[in-house]
Amino acid sequence: MTYSIIARCPRTGKFGVGSTTFSMACGRRNESVRPNVGVSKSQAFYLRHVDPLALNMLAQGHTPQQIVRMLAADDADFDYRQFGIIDRENNVVAHTGPGCGKWAGHTVGPYYAAYGNGLAGPQVVAGIVAGFLKQPDAPLEDRLLLALEGGRDAGGQESNGVHRPERSAWIRVVDQLDFPEIDLRVDLDDRSVAELRRILAEFKRYRDYYRARCDDPRNAIPEEEFVASLDQKAA
Amino acid sequence: MTYSIVARCPRTGQLGIGVASFSMAIGRFCDGAVRSNTGVTLTQGFPNPRNNYLAINLLGQGHTAGQALATLIVNDARGDYRQIAIVDRDDNAVIHSGGKLRPWAAHRIGKGYLALGDGLAGPQVVEAMAARFEGTAEADLDERLLAALEAGRDAGGLAGVRGRLPERSAALVVWGNRPHNEIDLRADLHENAIAEVRRIHADYKPTIAYYDERARNPRNAITGVEFAENLKKQQRKETA
Repeated sequence: MTYSIIARCPRTGKFGVGSTTFSMACGRRNESVRPNVGVSKSQAFYLRHVDPLALNMLAQGHTPQQIVRMLAADDADFDYRQFGIIDRENNVVAHTGPGCGKWAGHTVGPYYAAYGNGLAGPQVVAGIVAGFLKQPDAPLEDRLLLALEGGRDAGGQESNGVHRPERSAWIRVVDQLDFPEIDLRVDLDDRSVAELRRILAEFKRYRDYYRARCDDPRNAIPEEEFVASLDQKAA
Repeated sequence: MTYSIVARCPRTGQLGIGVASFSMAIGRFCDGAVRSNTGVTLTQGFPNPRNNYLAINLLGQGHTAGQALATLIVNDARGDYRQIAIVDRDDNAVIHSGGKLRPWAAHRIGKGYLALGDGLAGPQVVEAMAARFEGTAEADLDERLLAALEAGRDAGGLAGVRGRLPERSAALVVWGNRPHNEIDLRADLHENAIAEVRRIHADYKPTIAYYDERARNPRNAITGVEFAENLKKQQRKETA
């Protein structure tokens, strides 16, 4: 059980993924987004090598549609896989095999895909999409988190009729550089999406400071003094 | 205000990093830091975000760890502010600790590993990390990295202009022979981030084999929820 949103920002071209699940540390899947190439995020009974393979194929020039055919041809258990792929021309595909269980499904939009399995029902995917579309002018990281919150608030995950908590959550946004712009995680927390919201809000206060400290360390103040100045501002 | 241990396991060839910092989400800076059968690197202090990718590409092309390090230094107008560690697949371990890192900045070089940090309570922090890493040679790499972080914390950890600083984020990364991590755990904002990663690691490690097997054989897999419940029962039995 997992639900995700993958997207290419229509304004900036940045790629991003937001994901949350019952399993621990879903953000370890950092191989799923590649700058200037695309996103490939697999889940359900996923094979870990599939995302790097799909991104390698995208980089070679294959279309997402062709990649789906090639993955299907080389996987006896393709029916158990769920994934989405976006390339840098906004070609979007998603696949939900019939073996992914109840309820599982996806929605493909013009520059995004929302999908999940082990969900309370189709309203969860609808909630992800509604969250993502709520603030179309917002930065991609905000839209990804709104999407996860939309899925959670629409019922989230369920198995055997019991609601299951989102125990890990993750958002990652890449621009043109190798180093991700945003990569924030919660690895084990019964309210991981809310915790991720707290961490993103906090990170935004530090973001310019951290960037400046890398780019020009000569003028950087000690971080504990920066923290004290934030606390003063808040008081 | 970051300390880390960067290492290769001599038994398994696994490559890994344990890192803790006062800064948020230090695990971000492990991005691109490891490539299977190639090497492991980390730039900290005032990190240069391009360094990991360049260092690993240089190792992958066949350059020695020493030449990769020299290239990173001359490629960067602010090299004085960086602390750069590289360990290659032949257990060569090299390090650059720039002159303008925050005091105490220190490192220890071992065979196939490096303990390093800046903004430390003192050099005893990296000494304690190295001693713990050496003293746990029989354990798995992830356990050794985590134990070394704990030893660094318990030896005084981080100190800033106002004294002791908490480890607010931590990360544990291990790669084996596959083109992706085996273990990649993080605490991004927590008052005791190393203890939080220890807590997550205890629950996470038993699931690795389960998720691997489930992907290869989905037809007979039990659900993740069932697996987690069975694990909890087993853990309760063990502590009873």
